[in-house]
Amino acid sequence: MSRTRFFLSNEFGLVLLIAVFAAIFGLAATGFLSPFNLFTLGRNAAVNIMIGLSMMSVIVTGGLNLAIGAMGVSAAMFAGWLIEGVGVPWPLALAGGLACGAGLGFINGATVVRSGLHSFIITLATMSIFFGVMIFLTRAESYRDLPAVFSDFGRMKFAGYVSPLLLVTLATALVLAWLYRRTVTGREMLAAGAQPGAAELSGIRVGRMVILCHMLSGVLAAMAALMLVARNGAAIPSMAGQLGQDWLLLAFLGPVLGGTLLQGGKVSVLGTVLGAFLVTMLQSGLLMLQIGAFWVQTFLGLMLLIAVLLDKARRAYLARRNLA
Amino acid sequence: MTNLKLGITLAGVVGLGSMAPAIAADDTRIALIPGGPHPYFAAWADAGADAARDFGLAGAEYEVPQKWELATQNQLAESLLSQGYNGFLIFPGDPVGAVSTAEELTGYDAQVIAGGGCYKDPSPAAFCLGTDTGNSAYLGTKELLAAMPDGEKRIAHFTGFLVDPNTQLRIDAVNRAAEEEGATVVQTIADIDAPEPAEEKINAYLAAHAEEVDGIITTAWVPAVVATKALAKMGGDRIHMVGIDHDEVVLEAIRDGSIDGTMLQNPYGQGYIGAYAIDKLRSGCVVKADAPFASNALTDRFIDSGTAYVDRDSVDGYLDAMRAETDRILADFDETYLDCS
Repeated sequence: MSRTRFFLSNEFGLVLLIAVFAAIFGLAATGFLSPFNLFTLGRNAAVNIMIGLSMMSVIVTGGLNLAIGAMGVSAAMFAGWLIEGVGVPWPLALAGGLACGAGLGFINGATVVRSGLHSFIITLATMSIFFGVMIFLTRAESYRDLPAVFSDFGRMKFAGYVSPLLLVTLATALVLAWLYRRTVTGREMLAAGAQPGAAELSGIRVGRMVILCHMLSGVLAAMAALMLVARNGAAIPSMAGQLGQDWLLLAFLGPVLGGTLLQGGKVSVLGTVLGAFLVTMLQSGLLMLQIGAFWVQTFLGLMLLIAVLLDKARRAYLARRNLA
Repeated sequence: MTNLKLGITLAGVVGLGSMAPAIAADDTRIALIPGGPHPYFAAWADAGADAARDFGLAGAEYEVPQKWELATQNQLAESLLSQGYNGFLIFPGDPVGAVSTAEELTGYDAQVIAGGGCYKDPSPAAFCLGTDTGNSAYLGTKELLAAMPDGEKRIAHFTGFLVDPNTQLRIDAVNRAAEEEGATVVQTIADIDAPEPAEEKINAYLAAHAEEVDGIITTAWVPAVVATKALAKMGGDRIHMVGIDHDEVVLEAIRDGSIDGTMLQNPYGQGYIGAYAIDKLRSGCVVKADAPFASNALTDRFIDSGTAYVDRDSVDGYLDAMRAETDRILADFDETYLDCS
């Protein structure tokens, strides 16, 4: 019975898909497994996984965070301003950027809790507000005179092809897994997402948990954006597209492919990591196979739809077999 | 599982094997990468194909990022390097943010030249080949004012994205030319180099303020097309206009007299000369230390790819004008900028 459940799990399916696509791309796409491409694949995956984890930490509550991109870019621009505008040492500026992400997350969470509205509405509004304020304050100017340590870190390679950004992301994922599995706070977050009423009755402060989840999401979004700053060597207002919307599809793909329930209450950190990595690998492989760049986005959208439908079928199957 | 590991390992060996000759290839394989989809860069496709044929390159392909976003452009460039491309003509998605990727490309012995727009110094790009946008806007405004009748001259300026460093140069140049001629820039509308905002803002402005404007200068492709169409709809010949670039709508309007002229840029020349120079650099030439580069706000290694005013008398020969500019630059390019000894 447990073996059946394992083979039907999202994580197993993702590992299988990653292996299959790695073999296909490795054989069919020239240079796919070259050290440079493996390095860039890992570096891009590091950011995409972090974006997925940021969305996952709000989906846990049964909510959504459409403002992930706007929060991340705002936090990165704040860190850039601290360095260039105020002259703060870069480690403190990084901490300031993360704090900014947490603060923006607090605004989201507190507004959701106070208003009782769905986070979809609140974060749709704050996406425009955060991004608009950031553009107004920075006049859409990039912070380009950052210390060389940023771009050095973005280009650094371990063993010829491993980006340290990927190691940061994996360490963060481990911490999150520990949070949800081993800590009271993590379990309270899950309980608040699964059955808010029951959680409240059992003494969990659901509102506080929702705010904490949004703050966590803000910190993770800030980390993703700061990684992009390291990648580019500059804090750029357009790094996540207009209003930060370019992150949205990536943000949903990781958690949804990984098996995180959109209704909340269940989380799969490993699944999110694998899902986001698969998406990054597909982007890279499709580009290298010279499949028109315009088709890549279409393909990713199709993947999201298929993943949701397959997950629904899987859960129906498990329920019929009394395995759920 | 063992078989899977073996398969991936074998695939890795194949991949690594295919990468090695790509990095150390003798053949020049060039990617011409714009910042995103835009009609201005379409001429790079023909320029690359012509350069590959004329100079015996292994390839010179026009590769377009799916959207105007630095990360997308970076991923495309990284992917092309892994596929064995060893020369890059790039319109930087961001003057500073794109430098990091250029450094990675040159770190694998690829040659990089900025085309259409420049990297901010310091960068590993050999040089920047683009339009002297300020000069083009200045000359275009002078032509517009010369075409307008004597008396009060009130002009509107429609231009490109504010994130494009060229935009502010264009705004300054138009204002300077107007001031020198005693004209007034009554309105500058920027950030409209895309169909939707251009249609919305230009049409709304002309609907409300056409009576307050005697001339229009446009310094970006899409606003030029939209303003030309708007003038055609309005009819009459009171409002004069000088556009930019060579969209067929603009050229046809010059032929039928709806607008006065356009400032040509030379994207074809950028692609053609850029591919030629990359091949030369890969063949062992180096950029002369004392090459007479011009300067702009971003770099001290700037080469003007040329600009020319085309009116009703010269519109049918505009392709010749572009090719003549290209030939002029290419004629003494080696002696002027390269050391191939």
